[in-house]
Amino acid sequence: MSVVIEKKHQRRLFRMHWVDWIIYIFLFIFAVLTFYLLWYVIIGSFSNGQEYASGGVFFWPRGATLANFGVIFQDGEFWTAFRNTVLRTATGILTEVLFTALVAYAMSSKHLRCKKAYYWIFIFTMFFSGGIVPMYLLLRIIGLYDTFWVYIIPSVLSVYNMIIVSNFYKGIPDSLYEAAELDGAGELRIWALIYMPLSKPVLATVALWVAVDHWNSYMGTMLYTKAGDWTITLQYYLKHLINEASGVSSGSEYSDLVSAKTISYAGIIVALIPIMCMYPFVQKHFTKGIMIGSLKG
Amino acid sequence: MDGAVCRKKRKKWDVRNWTIFIVATLGLLVIIVFHYLPMIGLLLGFKDADYSSNLLGTLLFGEWVGFEHFTAFLQDVDFWNVMSNTLIVNLILLLLNFPAPIIFALILNEVRHKWFKKGIHIVTTFPHFISWAIYGGIVIALTDQTTGIMNPILNAFGLSSDVDPVYLMDSDHIWAVLIISSIIKSVGWGSIIYMAAIASIDPELYEAAELDGVTRWQKAIYITLPCIAPTITVFLLLNIGRLLSNSFEQFNSLQNAVNLSKSEVLATYIYRLSFSSRRYGYATAIGLFNSFVSLILLVASNFISKKVAGRGLF
Repeated sequence: MSVVIEKKHQRRLFRMHWVDWIIYIFLFIFAVLTFYLLWYVIIGSFSNGQEYASGGVFFWPRGATLANFGVIFQDGEFWTAFRNTVLRTATGILTEVLFTALVAYAMSSKHLRCKKAYYWIFIFTMFFSGGIVPMYLLLRIIGLYDTFWVYIIPSVLSVYNMIIVSNFYKGIPDSLYEAAELDGAGELRIWALIYMPLSKPVLATVALWVAVDHWNSYMGTMLYTKAGDWTITLQYYLKHLINEASGVSSGSEYSDLVSAKTISYAGIIVALIPIMCMYPFVQKHFTKGIMIGSLKG
Repeated sequence: MDGAVCRKKRKKWDVRNWTIFIVATLGLLVIIVFHYLPMIGLLLGFKDADYSSNLLGTLLFGEWVGFEHFTAFLQDVDFWNVMSNTLIVNLILLLLNFPAPIIFALILNEVRHKWFKKGIHIVTTFPHFISWAIYGGIVIALTDQTTGIMNPILNAFGLSSDVDPVYLMDSDHIWAVLIISSIIKSVGWGSIIYMAAIASIDPELYEAAELDGVTRWQKAIYITLPCIAPTITVFLLLNIGRLLSNSFEQFNSLQNAVNLSKSEVLATYIYRLSFSSRRYGYATAIGLFNSFVSLILLVASNFISKKVAGRGLF
């Protein structure tokens, strides 16, 4: 009986109904459109700025040149912004993941009293906040305003990620904990040597989320810094590049090979390269992570 | 010495409890400093803090103005313009951007070739990881009047012309641009959660239905959709709670002087008031109003969902 069903199922799998064709074609077109967004900027970044300006560059670079990238790479501010963003992302991953996991361990521990109170104090901040002026004031008072650490310290604990990690910890069998407890291992030791290695998949996901957030954010730079030597970030730098390009003045200060537009496209591509490189490898982690997160319902 | 007393009074308050207590409290401290302390700063909304050069002094000793800022912005035409932008854009997003990933997941679920499904998913998820600064830059590039590709496409449909190209980033078109670009950026990523929910549906349900000769359409409507309804509810609640909130970066990156009258939403308006106009008290009052209404929306929709659907967010 079940073999019959199996066979029937099998046959259905490979017969393309006209509805299937519509679905496949629709999805294919949508994917091509999405990819085109990227392609459009790529060809722009490799185009000759002056020739690009006359329009019609849609599928292939015109007057192919690397000059746009040359302008970006010769800009000292680009390297400052790049360095700050790399530093910020690396430091952010390290501190945020470790601290979030540590607090998550405490929050999942049976030794914590008044857990409900902690939980609600944490949760409330996800739905209510002081807003930007009070935050600005606080950062000024404690001296974080316009320092590199303004990117790191306020976000060292993410409540959302903490709950996800702590839910994962709750799924780790008690017997492991009890065995370690019998051996006389302290809490921090148990966390570092048992829970941390076991939670690698969820930690990898959280680390990736943190990395993308740090790499992509520019609001913090606008609000809480003066975009100086140690606080300008790559996205902020790009934002200015793009604003300049869409403004009225087209870059007459540049050479014939480039324009403000094509330079901004080159900047976009350079900033996207790290994400494009790691994306194929980490894509499944993102997917896995969101599923872990969804378990809490 | 104290430990002995402690141990006697509350049972088993040992070194493990202490470690855990200290760690959890350390986390709590960070949250209190960076999330609860600023809430004290909300008092600026009730003080004469506009144009103040010493905000801390104003917060501590400034003159109370009561609800003056609140009555002021409630009577301000600008505020209501921003408010209606925020509400209308978010309602359209709720109507289109919220169901889009669900429909996308349902469609993707009909794909039988695994490689195709995976490929589509990888490509359509990618825009989620592009920053708004960059994505905004791409949108600006596509809609450029002379070099963008959008105008030739519109030309082909007779909606624009080379002589008088449509400027898609102006106040008439910016909502459409915002919404379409939002959907393209988030539909792939948003569908992951629904695909996970669909994957966890018991296959026996489908097999039983197949034996009854049910069509694919019916399977999607009567099996898949009801099975992922709890997930949909949770996300709907979260979205309703965000009716007054927008991604600052999204709107900031697409704003320009021409479309500002339609693209200014509460998030960007509060920023402009605080840091360009330095109207700290006024801006804080609007921010407080925004947070407060959002909280009420969330609690109310959660309450209704619990009554009607039997489950909520918390």
